Amino acid sequence: MVAVLMDITKCTGCEKCVLACIEKNNLNLEKSYFDRITARDGLSSDRFLSINKIDKDRFARLSCMHCLDPACISACLVGGITKSPKGAVIYDPDKCIGCRYCMLACPFHIPRYEWNVTKPFMKKCNLCYDRIKDDELPACVEACPNKAIVFGDRNKLLKQAHRTINSKPEKYLQHVWGEEEYGGTSILCISDIDLAKTGWSDKPVTPIPHLTEPLIEKTPVLGLTAGSFLVGLNWIIRRRMKFAGQNDKTKNQTKKEDGQDDV
Amino acid sequence: MFNKARTLKDILWFFIFFGLVAGIFRLWFGLGATTNLTDSVPWGLWKVLNMIAGVALSTCGFTIGLLVYVLKIEKFKPFVKPAILVAFLGYGSSCFALLFDIGLPYRFWHPLFMWNEHSFLFEVFWCVMLYFSVTFIELMPNILEKYKLKRTVGFLHKITIGVVIIGISLSTLHHSSLGSLFLITPYRLFPLWYSSLLPVYFFTSAAGCGIMFLIFVKILYSKLYNPASVFGEQTNGKAPVVCSINKNDQNTVTKEYGKDIPMLSSLCIIGVSLLAIYLVLKIYDLFRLNLFNTLLAGTWESWIYILELLLTAVLPIVLMIITKSRRSPYGLGTAAFSASLGLALNRLDVGIIGYFRDAGSAYFPSLTEWALSIGVIAAATLVFLFVAENFSIFDEQWKVYKINKGIFKASFDSISRVWQAALQSGLQRTTIIGVFVLPIAFILMYPQYESDKGINVVPASGLNTIRSVLIINANTPGMSTEFPHLKHQETLGKEQSCIECHHISLPDDKSTPCSRCHRKMFEKTLIFNHEMHKGWVAADRQIPGLQPENKTCAICHLPGLPKDINSAVGCMECHKEDIHVANTLNLPKQFLYADSYFYVMHKRCIGCHQERKQGVNKPNLDQCSNCHQSYYTQYETKKELYGSLASD
Repeated sequence: MVAVLMDITKCTGCEKCVLACIEKNNLNLEKSYFDRITARDGLSSDRFLSINKIDKDRFARLSCMHCLDPACISACLVGGITKSPKGAVIYDPDKCIGCRYCMLACPFHIPRYEWNVTKPFMKKCNLCYDRIKDDELPACVEACPNKAIVFGDRNKLLKQAHRTINSKPEKYLQHVWGEEEYGGTSILCISDIDLAKTGWSDKPVTPIPHLTEPLIEKTPVLGLTAGSFLVGLNWIIRRRMKFAGQNDKTKNQTKKEDGQDDV
Repeated sequence: MFNKARTLKDILWFFIFFGLVAGIFRLWFGLGATTNLTDSVPWGLWKVLNMIAGVALSTCGFTIGLLVYVLKIEKFKPFVKPAILVAFLGYGSSCFALLFDIGLPYRFWHPLFMWNEHSFLFEVFWCVMLYFSVTFIELMPNILEKYKLKRTVGFLHKITIGVVIIGISLSTLHHSSLGSLFLITPYRLFPLWYSSLLPVYFFTSAAGCGIMFLIFVKILYSKLYNPASVFGEQTNGKAPVVCSINKNDQNTVTKEYGKDIPMLSSLCIIGVSLLAIYLVLKIYDLFRLNLFNTLLAGTWESWIYILELLLTAVLPIVLMIITKSRRSPYGLGTAAFSASLGLALNRLDVGIIGYFRDAGSAYFPSLTEWALSIGVIAAATLVFLFVAENFSIFDEQWKVYKINKGIFKASFDSISRVWQAALQSGLQRTTIIGVFVLPIAFILMYPQYESDKGINVVPASGLNTIRSVLIINANTPGMSTEFPHLKHQETLGKEQSCIECHHISLPDDKSTPCSRCHRKMFEKTLIFNHEMHKGWVAADRQIPGLQPENKTCAICHLPGLPKDINSAVGCMECHKEDIHVANTLNLPKQFLYADSYFYVMHKRCIGCHQERKQGVNKPNLDQCSNCHQSYYTQYETKKELYGSLASD
């Protein structure tokens, strides 16, 4: 499992990572940042990564969080989103039908859609999975001049993050964002200001698929139960009607109508 | 009464033509150009109204099947055929509308072969598809009867009970799964609507409202074709006013209001009981999740929530409790319509409206979305009327009321000539509607939004010195913010400060966004708009003797020379009064190319910032991040800054 650790205090907001991302993914550099369709956080189908000012001189990176148990993978009905062996959440455009359920499911509002083309696909960061599988760095990490974002094994980075915040308790808040949120993400953040407002909600610890997957496992059982219950009910009613019919056909009919027709 | 049906059909054709154009535009131009969907609100009208609400209103197929075939309540048998038809058309139209909604319609078959069993959407897809096939099998005997295929019909009748039970199981699954779709968005959906009981809500409300919708359909159908069966024998075109309240005298009631009323009424009671269960569950959930503060907070969500519950459950229940309205077709019709409307509103709430607060932006469907949505519904209604007219769906006695087909046929009338007669023919009327509607629809819905032209620059507008507030779009089209102009003028240094913002003023555009000239991010752009000048110079300047568009060349281009830049007069010749700074600055003859936005901003801003950072003792003044902020943070800081200024 790989991860990216971001130190909010080191980022100067130069956006070199964004430029590197644009270059690596062949995105449209000239595309306007904001229009009717894009959200205000700077991500669009031509921006997989954005840097947002969250406070005075403080910047946070926004991109796919590569959750350990992602909601989008659970949501995609054709299995078009998968997790690579190294932990990147990858989208397969050959399977996608364009239902946009992943966009609805993502708790971080990350997936973007190519609204302006007639053959649209979902777009998001893929953690440069083609680079990291050859042990190269992701483009954004490589471009960062201040080493504000570092890349490596998730467990090692977590240890490093805890070491950093423990060594300077007066500077850092004692929390590693991404360690537990939504079951853990591959983008980790340490900071000296609270990140709860910037998409990191501070409540949830359970992965989102845990809300739906136990339920969906029960559906075949539910369907079969409903079916067999109805067959049984039908059999009983028929049998009763048959006996009643043997006794007195006309009486049965009038009785039934009286029972129902109480208007 | 047949004229009513004819008028209804004309209206339906009107919407179908609109929908047709909308559908073509959607496929041709893509989703972004034709819909108002955004990255923040990815699910819109087609998916939520047509698919989720449409499927929910078509539940009558399985509820009536349950009552008649499984529970053997034979008195509802007349409702079986219409219920199956409504279900078939409801599911068919929903799936059809969905084809336009998904981004890549030609891949709609992918979930058949590519499985993700963990997705509720996958389950919904399979169940809806299978159930649609089930309704098709159930519908077939009614259609085939007419063509005397007795063996097939007999076989289909034999398997009915099995098919019905499969259908009910599938319905149970997918109606609850439609609710479960939204279980995956616990922190996005507004807390009033998010509940772990969503699948139960969706199931009970769909089952109840499906019955109500069938009653609504039946009453409307009778109004058009066979008023006597529901509204009773009419005298002088008026419905009977008197309604017997005498409980002992049931026969009087049925005579007053048609023979189907008792049956409709008992069906309605079943529907309303389901809705009562729904209402009780909803109220129980308010207690369970302790949401009364949210409910009474007075936000618009809470009002919509209350309205939705009133429409879906409370009003129908009240109407059914009152004996008088329970026994009148109007009371039944109102209850049925209210429940159906409430259900549609509920699905829109859970699917769209409940996400607005989280998304931070609202969504209202575009004309194209409405057109396609209503067009598909209109088409389904038309097919319904066609089947109901040509096959015995509602009534075995239908053959008695069978339409006199001659009324629709074009016949040459020697007195009134062709025109009047032609309008009576269905095909010709439809053609005329089409001829009128198609061009109007084409013009109204032609997409305005084109992505390839870069930033759609809107000049700063709304300068109002009296209110001292200027609306600027700050280079973010589609969004604008209030800009207290006078306050800025005062803080920046009285009247000499104009030039700090108004670098250059174009005609009729007293203050401009920077990007008005520096249009492209990294390339130079031509700022002189030749086409505009060609057409407008004569008209705008009101030069006598010159016509727009054809004889205006001589105004700018010197005679005898080739018409290019060199032979044109300088901008200042005409725009001396418009460009105030022209007198003080040494400007070139023509403004041709504006530097790229990137270049201008970096040179113009950063140079100054670097110079002055020592002087004003602000070492961070030349940091990239001073200008490069996300829109959100810009918006927040602006709100803080100018909000305090404006309130002063």
